[in-house]
Amino acid sequence: MKIRPNFSIRTKLLLVALLLLVIPYMSYIYVRDMKSFLLSGQEDALSLTSRAIATVLHDRPEFFTDNVDIDINRPLVDNEIYAYPLPNYINLNGDLSDWGEQAKQAKSYFPKTTLDTPESPTLSAIPDDQDLEIKHLLGYHGRFIYALFEVRDRFVIFRQTGFLRVNAADHIRVTLQDPAGQEKRYTLIASEPGRMSIYLMDSDWQYPITGEANNDLAAELSLTDQGYNVELRIPRFRLSSDTRIQMTVANVDDPVSLKLNSLVSTTPESDEDLSRVLVQAPEISKILAGLKRSDTRMWVIDKQKRPRAVVGNIITEAYVSPRDKPKPNDSYLDYAVDIVGYYYNIVLGKVFSYIVDRPVDAFNDYASSAEERNDQIIEQALAGKVSSDRRPSLDNQAMILMSAHPIFSGDETLGAVIVEQSTNQVLQRQQSVLENVISVTLLVLLTVVGAILLFASRLTLRIRRLRNATDNAIDRDGRIINQRLSADAKSGDEIGDLSRSVSDMLGRLSQYTKYLRGLPDTLAHEVSNPLNVVNSSLHNLSQEHPAVADSKYLDRATNGVNRIGAILRNLTEAANLEQAMQSETREVFDLVDLIENYVDGYSISNPDQKFEVIIHSRPLNVEAAPDYIAQVLDKLVDNAIDFAAPGTAIVFKVQRLDKFAQIDVINRGSILPEGMSERIFEPLVSLGRKDAQKSRLGMGLYVVKLIASFHGGDVVARNLSSADGVIFSFSLPLYNPDPMNF
Amino acid sequence: MARKVAIVEDDFDQRENYADALSQSGYEVATYSNRQDALIGMQKDMPDLAILDIMLEHEMDGGFDLCRDLRALSPTLPIIFLTARDTDIDRVSGLRLDAWDYLTKPLNMQFLSVRINSLFRIVDSLAKGSSVENDSDVLVIDALTIDEDSMSIKWQGQELSLTLTEFWLIESMARHPGHVKTYENMMQITRQSYVERNTINGYIRRIRNKFKEIDPEFKNIQTVFGVGYKWNTGE
Repeated sequence: MKIRPNFSIRTKLLLVALLLLVIPYMSYIYVRDMKSFLLSGQEDALSLTSRAIATVLHDRPEFFTDNVDIDINRPLVDNEIYAYPLPNYINLNGDLSDWGEQAKQAKSYFPKTTLDTPESPTLSAIPDDQDLEIKHLLGYHGRFIYALFEVRDRFVIFRQTGFLRVNAADHIRVTLQDPAGQEKRYTLIASEPGRMSIYLMDSDWQYPITGEANNDLAAELSLTDQGYNVELRIPRFRLSSDTRIQMTVANVDDPVSLKLNSLVSTTPESDEDLSRVLVQAPEISKILAGLKRSDTRMWVIDKQKRPRAVVGNIITEAYVSPRDKPKPNDSYLDYAVDIVGYYYNIVLGKVFSYIVDRPVDAFNDYASSAEERNDQIIEQALAGKVSSDRRPSLDNQAMILMSAHPIFSGDETLGAVIVEQSTNQVLQRQQSVLENVISVTLLVLLTVVGAILLFASRLTLRIRRLRNATDNAIDRDGRIINQRLSADAKSGDEIGDLSRSVSDMLGRLSQYTKYLRGLPDTLAHEVSNPLNVVNSSLHNLSQEHPAVADSKYLDRATNGVNRIGAILRNLTEAANLEQAMQSETREVFDLVDLIENYVDGYSISNPDQKFEVIIHSRPLNVEAAPDYIAQVLDKLVDNAIDFAAPGTAIVFKVQRLDKFAQIDVINRGSILPEGMSERIFEPLVSLGRKDAQKSRLGMGLYVVKLIASFHGGDVVARNLSSADGVIFSFSLPLYNPDPMNF
Repeated sequence: MARKVAIVEDDFDQRENYADALSQSGYEVATYSNRQDALIGMQKDMPDLAILDIMLEHEMDGGFDLCRDLRALSPTLPIIFLTARDTDIDRVSGLRLDAWDYLTKPLNMQFLSVRINSLFRIVDSLAKGSSVENDSDVLVIDALTIDEDSMSIKWQGQELSLTLTEFWLIESMARHPGHVKTYENMMQITRQSYVERNTINGYIRRIRNKFKEIDPEFKNIQTVFGVGYKWNTGE
């Protein structure tokens, strides 16, 4: 039978379990669809928001004029500066992080000319001022207006202690026009990093009007690698609705002469006027503040695309920070669980980064103004159309959804509302869903695969055990050793069933073989009674009729009866022998002696038969019942004589093979037919007969086999390689006085 | 007065053949076909010798049971098992029940008469009493004493409990010490129809065991492998 090559059950089950991988794939597909759905939902929501805000602002042109004395229709002129709305109050500590993304909107200023004053005729003597660069930003939050100066300056000169002049060091000049219209000049100067001193100055910036430091304003200076930063805070009440302002950075580079090197104005250069500060309309801000959402930025722009108000921030909340690597604590179990969880998350994160777009923690959407984005939708909104769009953030890290709605006043467009939101939220939601699904699925998959592996291993183990038990239940000669398989006999499932039915089968088979083995005995027993009748009748007949007693027919009848009797004995011999051997006592003797004695004795009773004995080693002590060994020799010699060619000798060869003594009985003559060398030891298997008078039931070699296996030995038959005879090899384990060394 | 022999055998043909043959030999024969009849019959009329089959009609071990019952009636009654059952276990069971002999079918009828004669001789000799010492019938070889009359054998002065067959085998070997008794000789001596080497081996084994019960060092019966056995004297 050809067996198809195949996978093991375990592999098959694992392959089936791989189907579970469909679940995460399906989730992936689902989540992808969900993403587009969520995005469109988000878009709708944004559009609604923008419309809602626009609705509030419809027909209220005052929002676009309040607080700012500028004509709505007038474009931004040179001497106006725009203060950016800041997300929060600024701590004056030199740390620029609280400026948020607005810090990036800072504009750079360079010195246009160096001062040409009589005090400094040798310009060449002082270091080149090309290095000076000032990044400046004006912003506001709540009641304060803030100014930021990032100064790149190779030589930072502080005010010398005890040096009263306030223009002999790097300083900042601020000119404010107070509500009354009077200009006030302030100098910001520091003798060391930290809080700066602020002095109200005279019109020439030469001397402080009062020696007192000013406390309304506050400024902080901090050193950087490149130069220094200054943060300035001005209370809003110091600025009227028509606030004018001018700020100048004064740079001193020569630590010896302390000459003023250059002045860089960060406000538009205008001789006759100070700059006007544009801040967003508070009314609009108030309205928008009510609509403020943490993840949404709302702009209101006027017709000139100038932002009138901005609330909210587009940066979504910080992405869930990665877990810290757990530290060993008291409970090892907890620690182990934490560690596993930690690495599990890391691995998952790696996996996810390949599957989905991760939301960007903080992408930079630093539109300095609406027009810089140059977005069509603003144009469209100002043209009176509702529109929405998606665009990448300026650093291409994320997608920004935008929706714009025009604000009408009658038929005229006052401005537009723009609402922006990053898709980060959707992405994050998508990711968390996907992460959940995948991690759960992965966990389930691992568990299921593990369980299947375990289950399959157990199953195969059980099947293998059952197979081995089944294999071992019947020995090489087909005899049943075990009728009951212990493997899985008690389990209630199919394997248990199989085990039990195999046991059942073996039981029935062994009953059958028992019946078969008992058959000769039963047969002999049944035949012996009628045979006895014939026998006794013949006797009585000869007694009753003396004339018959001499008849040759009576002789032949008696002879026939005797032959039947002999057959019966033969049949029962094996069965009787098995019983008898159980009670036989074994003794240790030299096998070589026994064979020599045997051959001597046999030669005496059968002088015609020639023997040849070859002894390779002696003594060969075995522990056995000598009678039975002699019986084995009887049978083997009988058999050899039966098949020996006339006139040839029977050869005995006795040798030691490892731990066995082996007797070879060799005869020349006909050889065994193919396939007979094993079968010949089975009961009732005979190779035919030479003498018609001599019965050959084929029990003799079976008896040899019985005796051999009873003594732990074996017997095999094979043809001589010269193909002119047969060799029977009978082996017995050698006697070992110390079985522990075996 | 003719001796009475009871035959218990469920097979009519065999039973009648035995009866005829034994009548011819001059015995008075009573035949029974089952255990109950036999027990009742023999209780009424105790025979001098009983021949029992083991399987009686439906009873697998009817003969053994009957033997036990008869032993209870008469401890000295000679009992012979004559059966087709030829296993060692049966043989041992039979002899353990104090049967005098255990024969297997098919049986040579002439041998049966001889056997019965011998048994009666033993009975007679026992009846005369062991006090009577008849030297002419006693064979002494070293520690072995064979009393031909009572068919008893002593080893080192102690009597062995032997069956008739065993007695004949020992006697035949001891009569010619040092001479090999071949299997063929011994088969004749057992006076049974079909005996094989294994049966002889079995007899010798049992005989040796009986000697060894008296003398654990007993080694006088020597196996001549492939041929037979011989009685060794001395060392």
